[in-house]
Amino acid sequence: MATTTPTAKPAPAHEHGHEAHGRELAHHFESAQQQKETATLGMWVFLVTEIMLFGGIFMAYIVYRWAFPDVWAEAAHHLNTPLGAVNTVVLLVSSLTVALAVNAAEEGNRRRLLTMLGITLLLGATFLVIKGFEYSEKFAHCAGAADPVAWVTGGARLEERECLVPGRNFVFPEAHGAEGSKGAGAAHGAEAGHAQPQAGLGSPYQLFYFLYFVATGLHAVHMVIGLTIVSVLTFIAWRGVITPTYYTPIEVGGLYWHLIDIIWVFLFPLFYLVH
Amino acid sequence: MAKTSTTAAHGARDAHDAHTEHAGHAHISRGTYYKVFAALMVLMALTVGAWWIEGMIALPRLLGVTIAMAIAIAKTTLIILYFMHVKVSERATQLYAGAAFVGFAIMVIITMADYFARGWPPPPGPLP
Repeated sequence: MATTTPTAKPAPAHEHGHEAHGRELAHHFESAQQQKETATLGMWVFLVTEIMLFGGIFMAYIVYRWAFPDVWAEAAHHLNTPLGAVNTVVLLVSSLTVALAVNAAEEGNRRRLLTMLGITLLLGATFLVIKGFEYSEKFAHCAGAADPVAWVTGGARLEERECLVPGRNFVFPEAHGAEGSKGAGAAHGAEAGHAQPQAGLGSPYQLFYFLYFVATGLHAVHMVIGLTIVSVLTFIAWRGVITPTYYTPIEVGGLYWHLIDIIWVFLFPLFYLVH
Repeated sequence: MAKTSTTAAHGARDAHDAHTEHAGHAHISRGTYYKVFAALMVLMALTVGAWWIEGMIALPRLLGVTIAMAIAIAKTTLIILYFMHVKVSERATQLYAGAAFVGFAIMVIITMADYFARGWPPPPGPLP
């Protein structure tokens, strides 16, 4: 094929017919606006499936919390609420920076776009570091260390046996549980009878921590995917692919990031703010 | 009358340079983003504050959950409408965004209806 016209440079297949508009507009769309709306709708279809994925976890949560409210109230006292609150703020700020990134892309301000995407990456990483610390605290307790640092350095040991990671070694601290339940039990009435703290698979408190690790773990996986997406967006924005006519990647990637934020907006009160 | 002529002119211009300019495209300003963010921070403080107060006074558990969920739903609505631009998106997108939550509501209603049909609250011990 190429030998038939050796003098004429074979034009790239996609060059033709783009005189009237930019290269980014595919031919089956009438305008860049229509193309962007179509991509947005497609992303929303995917987000619906994401909501149904997390929806299953929320459904399980509703059933078990409704059935065992006392177990929930006692178990939740052992989560680190201040760190959870800090993480909520971190994610809300990152949602703002993503919204501002879309705005910068719309206005064709490449410098502001790159800054906002960069801040988003930092905030996303901060969230994962804090979440990782919370997880490692729970795992350190299972190993008998007082905190993650002591776990690594062989420092202070935990005074009382406690392991909140679901599994055969699960131990819900009895003293703390009784202490925490005094107020809650008196206030809410203990007519159903408090579940006795038990070790291992028989402990009812395991249900709360099982849902906690599954829900926040799946959310953390989404954070990692979101960080990858924002990294790619930063790269293509740096390459100059994003223009005021074509900023669909920023818009659609932003939708994903906001969805992760929305999931956390529900996870935070459901796991950290329970009485 | 004036409004109609403006719209007509708008349409003509859109048709003219549809490939390059989109003056007709609704747009959320940066000022709005900052206001929405401020509202989200206030709601965040409210939900933690409500939890803190509930730790000191005896409130019915249902009320506490209702407050927390109402605040979470308010935050979600703000994020979806403004940060996710659903307020200025086309109707099909708005329909899908709404459908997700209707779908979730259907799942909750059918599941809980089944549990209630088997007797709720359940007897002590693991669920049947």
